Amino acid sequence: MSDNKKRLKNIEYAEAEWKKNVLDKRVGRFNLSKSPTRFYSPLAVSNFNFLEKVGFPGQYPFTAGNNPFDYWRAYAEDAAKMGYRPDWGAASGVGKYGGFGTAEDYRDYLIRMHSMGRTGGPNMAFDLATQCGYDSDSPYAEGEVGRVGVAIDAFNDFATIYEPYTGDLEIDRVPSNFTINAPAAIIIAMYAVLAEKRGIPLEKLRGTPQNDILKEYIARGTYIYPPKHSLRLFRDICVFCTQHMPKLNINSMGGYHIREAGATRVQDLAFSMSNATAYIQAGIDGGLAVDSFAPKFTFNAFGGSMEIYQEIALQRAARRIYARLLKERFNAENPRSMMIRQPITAHIGCSSTTLQRTLNNLTRAVVGGMAAGMSGGMPGVFPPFDEPLGLGHSQEAVQLQLDATRILIYEAKVADVNDPWAGSYFMESLTDEIEAKSLAEMEKIENMGGAVAAIESGYMQKAISKSAYERQKRIESQEEFVVGVNCFTGENEMDVNVNRVVEATYDPELLKSAEDRQKRKLAELKRQRDGKAVSSTLAALKEHARDENKNLMPDICECVRNNASLQEICDVLRDIFGEFQQARF
Amino acid sequence: MNEGKKMRVLMAKPGLDGHERGAHVVAHGLRDAGFEVIYTGLRQTTAQIVNTAVQEDVDVVGLSILSGAHLSLSQKVIDGLKNAGAEDVMVIIGGIVPDEDIPSLKKMGVREVFTAGTPVSEIANFITRST
Repeated sequence: MSDNKKRLKNIEYAEAEWKKNVLDKRVGRFNLSKSPTRFYSPLAVSNFNFLEKVGFPGQYPFTAGNNPFDYWRAYAEDAAKMGYRPDWGAASGVGKYGGFGTAEDYRDYLIRMHSMGRTGGPNMAFDLATQCGYDSDSPYAEGEVGRVGVAIDAFNDFATIYEPYTGDLEIDRVPSNFTINAPAAIIIAMYAVLAEKRGIPLEKLRGTPQNDILKEYIARGTYIYPPKHSLRLFRDICVFCTQHMPKLNINSMGGYHIREAGATRVQDLAFSMSNATAYIQAGIDGGLAVDSFAPKFTFNAFGGSMEIYQEIALQRAARRIYARLLKERFNAENPRSMMIRQPITAHIGCSSTTLQRTLNNLTRAVVGGMAAGMSGGMPGVFPPFDEPLGLGHSQEAVQLQLDATRILIYEAKVADVNDPWAGSYFMESLTDEIEAKSLAEMEKIENMGGAVAAIESGYMQKAISKSAYERQKRIESQEEFVVGVNCFTGENEMDVNVNRVVEATYDPELLKSAEDRQKRKLAELKRQRDGKAVSSTLAALKEHARDENKNLMPDICECVRNNASLQEICDVLRDIFGEFQQARF
Repeated sequence: MNEGKKMRVLMAKPGLDGHERGAHVVAHGLRDAGFEVIYTGLRQTTAQIVNTAVQEDVDVVGLSILSGAHLSLSQKVIDGLKNAGAEDVMVIIGGIVPDEDIPSLKKMGVREVFTAGTPVSEIANFITRST
């Protein structure tokens, strides 16, 4: 018997003795059927192979992190000395996520931000009509124009937003973010046409479109066409970007949205990995080598619960699954292809916040920040405590959020060690467990025919709807506890209120008049443009849409150049592809 | 509640907002509580919701709204029901609704507003009590 085997045998014997003489006695003494806690010994990971399962930070399989340290950590001390104040909701170099009203309203807002020193590229939120492929004059757009983001009907709107981006802020110098999915091809085409008109080579453009349409069917609801046609559009974007805009990230895939819609941790990971698999396959089917485009895939964020240990394990499992998927299944060779690049790692998710005793959400978000800091990310405390009030975040909540993150970085020093849980009997075994369950779920989806088939049949949608309801039932039956919601609600508890100043980010008068102004502008555009050119470019798009092998991006760019509207382009594709109907349940 | 007849509830998502976790959870919960629940699915205009409510002869319309457009959308549904002679249909709302909007909603005829963290059992009890 080897020394190691002997060692494990000894531990096994000791554990059995401990159970009998210590644990069971205590369980009996308190009249319990089983212990409310667990303890992990080396037996939990008896054949643990460090290099295979964890590896060093920045090395395959990236369980310990993508890098030995990230950019922000390299300069954290300098940032503290300079009092650097980052914009929340901003990826590096990109301004705060926002957008409202007409393109003119949003442009003016960006100019105001620039005058305040917030000079990142635009990080655009689009209104729901734009997200669903409707123009502002569509009956579906009534009441929605410019509400949750800016309204884009045609190229002139897009160009207006970029008016302040010249000189030092020229579009080859600052990156842009577009939170757009179903019409992503059109928005990317607008970005390309803008560069063309400004004489900027496309290969210099940087930025990130969300472009994660598959999760829209599962979670967020802004889909247009049936999934297989959407995936064809994804392929066209992927090929176009790889060939012409190699610096642009291709997508930002989300586990986050799926989780917020009710998915369990394993569903979150398995569904997003199955979606990623479909996107990678689409790129390969488009004739690309995996290492030519996979390094430009990004992720939004996995996570979304208060269970700190599990959320840390999830991040570790996610990195390992993705790395192996790329290397073993898709034969990637470039390490960058194998990394989950995401702006934040673990977090509690907005759905963990409570309306009841709202300030408790700060405590909750700090737990999420700890989980992030211990799983390879900036210990970002998110969201601001007043998130569930739905009035916009107050300045006080944002200040507390920023300070909490700083306290975790500078005082608690949470981010000074990479993967601090590496080698923990407990964490390694939990990571293995989440990985195994997620791989099993991925295999189940694979056997259904992959993500597209699992969406068409409604499998993923039904599964998370069920999970959301199961969780609600556990809360109502007090199997799970939420402080201030289903427990500790007695009359001796008190609410604690703080002063809140909510900055009116967007002028309410502008919001009110946006729909009329946008409709007038669209009508004017339709009067002035060359109607024949619009019809002929739309006809060409239609013709090519019928041919599955054609890349539609050149046609979409041509439609954009000729001032076809977003809905006109979408309608042509609706004619050919049809519209997705969600299965009833 | 009438003996033997199941109460009919229409769960509806007006507008383009696609966040349907709340609508699903409440629909499941009310179904388990013995109600007959019809869910419209996403992207319903207020006119479509009113039509469905009338055609399906429902007792309750539950609107799930997280887009901030609760005031205008609720008013349209209530007016629509009135014009269709269905003003006896009870309208309730769930979603993200700031406290200060609740009095205006009740004034226009919304019977109750259920915000985040409300147990589905409370919604079920409210409907049973109020009809």
